[in-house]
Amino acid sequence: MSKKVSRRQFMSYTLMGVGGFMASGMLMPMVRFAIDPVLQTKDEGDFIHTQHKVDELSETPIRIDFTIKDRKDAWYKSDVSNTAWVYKNGDTVIALSPVCKHLGCTVNWGGDEKHPDQFFCPCHAGRYMKNGDNVKGTPPLGPLDEFDVKVEDGFLYLGKTKPNTLV
Amino acid sequence: MNWTANDMDTYLQQREYIDTLIVPLLKVETKPENMKSSSSSSEFLMHLTTFIETQFKGRMMLMPPFAYTQSMDLTEMAATLSQDLSVASFKYVFFLTTDSKWTSIEMDGEVIWLPSIPLESMDPQLRKSIIEDQLRQVLPRFTEKWSEQ
Ligand code: FES
Repeated sequence: MSKKVSRRQFMSYTLMGVGGFMASGMLMPMVRFAIDPVLQTKDEGDFIHTQHKVDELSETPIRIDFTIKDRKDAWYKSDVSNTAWVYKNGDTVIALSPVCKHLGCTVNWGGDEKHPDQFFCPCHAGRYMKNGDNVKGTPPLGPLDEFDVKVEDGFLYLGKTKPNTLV
Repeated sequence: MNWTANDMDTYLQQREYIDTLIVPLLKVETKPENMKSSSSSSEFLMHLTTFIETQFKGRMMLMPPFAYTQSMDLTEMAATLSQDLSVASFKYVFFLTTDSKWTSIEMDGEVIWLPSIPLESMDPQLRKSIIEDQLRQVLPRFTEKWSEQ
């Protein structure tokens, strides 16, 4: 037999290749479905209800936790408690993302004794002003993201994050 | 950072910032009577390390857990692991485990042993505060090493 790959063989190789590739693509969502049908995400744009009343907020940022089901980027799957730093500016409620714009650590309000009125990132001492503006000279290159905020029946709802609009 | 291709890209570009490696050491027991507690510990360890990763994403790389069964030779595993991990050249290496055996074994890096807490029966809120509490306990171990020059 000739050592050259015949046309038919070539076809079947490529088809197998494509078929195999497609099958693996199909398998993954199916497996996911099999594992956690309950956790199928609903509407992505949903606001999440927090237990917090807007009346109880003050000018000082507080940490508010809320849960998002089925985190996908971790090696080990788990529901993730998400966090926002929330405060009032006059009558407006402001919710900032705690994710540091340098490399993604979680920032804390007043985490650095020397700068009690700023957000502080413990990883490489990044700092942000109360409105999320990154302090120049510290590693972060942009301001903290902001959450969409909604108030209903006096309760705070948090939506998706968006680029900071306050700075 | 997680041990995923995307996070790895970030790591490879930001190695001077992501200088800490977190290595979960996970004991998997195969005797039926120990399986429940073993799975509970593994749940605890994975929850905790995942949480630590989200808090310190920009400084830590979380490895997939190194799993072993009850009869594996840990001294040998420790030696091989220490050697292989040193190739990755992280400035700080922390091993996290609920298996107290590791506390008496020589390793390149810090072994942090935590007694396992059964999280499975807790509601998410309690679980979260327990995990946070645990992080508060181990945090000084990290910061202490980080502040050494
Ligand atoms: S990750 Fe926040 S300063 Fe580097």
